[in-house]
Amino acid sequence: MKKFMIIRKADEETEAGAMPSEQLVSDMMRYNEQLVEAGMMIGGDGLHPTSNAARIRFHNGAPTVIDGPFTEAKELIAGYTLVQANSRDEVIEWAKRWPASDAHGNVQLEIRQVYTVEDFGEAFSPEMRELEEQLRTRSEELAKGTNS
Amino acid sequence: MRFMVIVKANAKSEAGEMPSEQLLTEMGKFNEELVKAGVMLAGEGLHPSSKGVRIRFEGDKRTIIDGPFAETKELIAGFWLIQVKSKEEAIEWMKRVPNPADGGDGEIEIRQVFEADDFGDALTPELREQENRLRAQVEANQK
Repeated sequence: MKKFMIIRKADEETEAGAMPSEQLVSDMMRYNEQLVEAGMMIGGDGLHPTSNAARIRFHNGAPTVIDGPFTEAKELIAGYTLVQANSRDEVIEWAKRWPASDAHGNVQLEIRQVYTVEDFGEAFSPEMRELEEQLRTRSEELAKGTNS
Repeated sequence: MRFMVIVKANAKSEAGEMPSEQLLTEMGKFNEELVKAGVMLAGEGLHPSSKGVRIRFEGDKRTIIDGPFAETKELIAGFWLIQVKSKEEAIEWMKRVPNPADGGDGEIEIRQVFEADDFGDALTPELREQENRLRAQVEANQK
């Protein structure tokens, strides 16, 4: 199985901090339920607007902190869904059925494949691979119960 | 509170250049610290946007746009999901991140994640129950 991230791009409303209507929350929940039932859903979240965000820029190793908001609304992210699927086409087909009530029918999504350990080749030593698996298991344990 | 730490793309990540063994080792160490502190919930890297696709919705129309996408610095190369007590704590942790741009100029973005309570009345008791059920089912599916 491959993993993909469906990115819900931001727009003026999400950046203004407008919360979804009950209708949209309900439509989104029904859509997510279908993804769960298809065994595809791994996770997903919505993000606060960038007025509450910070960026850290590294130049020659030194960090500079820049406070939000950030201007290019259409390039920002408002939320994401992580799914597993056999192919990118399968994810595209599902994403086309994203709730039409989101962004008043004008939503923009981006679909990106997630790297797996195999993609890193020999730079990823057996020791690193073992550490990676341990860390993944432990962070999954931490993640349980943080969502409710 | 939870935060998503977004690693912004750069020329190397968009070219599909894989991280060096040294960067992987440093990242592994950093992630281990995050896990030990109970901070790290998840983290992933993304293939370059040349393998990505965008879908633009306009009413009933769905337009598929194939990558790569041009505005490299606005794209995402990876992310962490972390849990900390404040945005300041998130910033302090992330100032110490091994430069994801592997020697070049790198940038990360720290964004707070919405929790169920943020949705107010729109998340009715029934919807909240449905949400909890789905989260539980997703966790069970991943075992």
